[in-house]
Amino acid sequence: MTTTIIKTTTRLLAPLILVFGSYIILHGHLTPGGGFQGGAVFASGLILLIVANVRDKVQKLFEKTPLTQLESLGALGFLGIGLLGLMSYTFLKNAIANSGFLFGGTTPQGINPGYLNTGGTLSYLNIFVGTKVLAGLTSIVLIFFLILRRERDEW
Amino acid sequence: MINETFFWTIQVLIAIALLGSSIAAIRFKNLISAVIAMAVFSLALSVEFYVLQAPDVAIAEAGVGAGLTTAMYLLAIRNTTDEEVVE
Amino acid sequence: MRKALGLFAFLAFVLFLFAATISLRPFGEPPHAEMDSYFIEHAQEEASANNVVTSVVFDYRGFDTLGEATVLFTAVSGVLMALRHYGGKEK
Repeated sequence: MTTTIIKTTTRLLAPLILVFGSYIILHGHLTPGGGFQGGAVFASGLILLIVANVRDKVQKLFEKTPLTQLESLGALGFLGIGLLGLMSYTFLKNAIANSGFLFGGTTPQGINPGYLNTGGTLSYLNIFVGTKVLAGLTSIVLIFFLILRRERDEW
Repeated sequence: MINETFFWTIQVLIAIALLGSSIAAIRFKNLISAVIAMAVFSLALSVEFYVLQAPDVAIAEAGVGAGLTTAMYLLAIRNTTDEEVVE
Repeated sequence: MRKALGLFAFLAFVLFLFAATISLRPFGEPPHAEMDSYFIEHAQEEASANNVVTSVVFDYRGFDTLGEATVLFTAVSGVLMALRHYGGKEK
């Protein structure tokens, strides 16, 4: 699976897929998509990188990547943002909206003008869920790839 | 109404693509071809979701159905054998 | 005897399918619901996000998303726990 065509295509295509996934995660409160969808697209880019390389290179590439830690960080961050809502009213209450904090700008009513600095806790939840989904799906496929029985790539 | 005709044409084309790709996924003896047929099925399904104005579901279906599960099936087939074993 | 019973069950199932198909609503016209109108009218000021779908997923139905995240977390940790021995020293 590592011909020259696939390697060149991956080198051109993977950065674009990663940027598109980040865009979907970050603009989750404005455009269609959100944490799960953006995380799945980001994980597809990483999986393209995994599948199109030989085993040694993948092992070297992902040895230092803290995938399990990112997964736990996403889950704990979701719970932490949920508990932050207790500060104002209830669990998962949107406490940051309209407060002037990061992502806490005033939300315009009516037709969507596309201001990124709005959304309150929804943006943080999107980012945490996206982190969690991309780490989880990538680690599943990575462990599938690493238990390959055949050493040399045959196709 | 040209718009409505276009909508129904797309519906019929997507239905034909869904049926054809699912039958192909069942009938193919080579497992890799069957997995590619399943990816085509997911892609047609995501186009259908987009036409029915559910872009969220369309993105999720395209990313998970056509990207992730195809990669996982391909890795699983590569771990075992790529021809269907008939007993 | 078993074959006749199976045929009877099959025919009853097909009958139910036909009845359900006949009583379907016309394509593209979902039934009107109060909750849809409420979400469309009030989501922007209550959840303070311009995307109504995100408001529903993360604000109105936040517990649902928390459960979904827990399911994914459990699945990933189960797979990694089961396959860790075969993957060399990776994680």
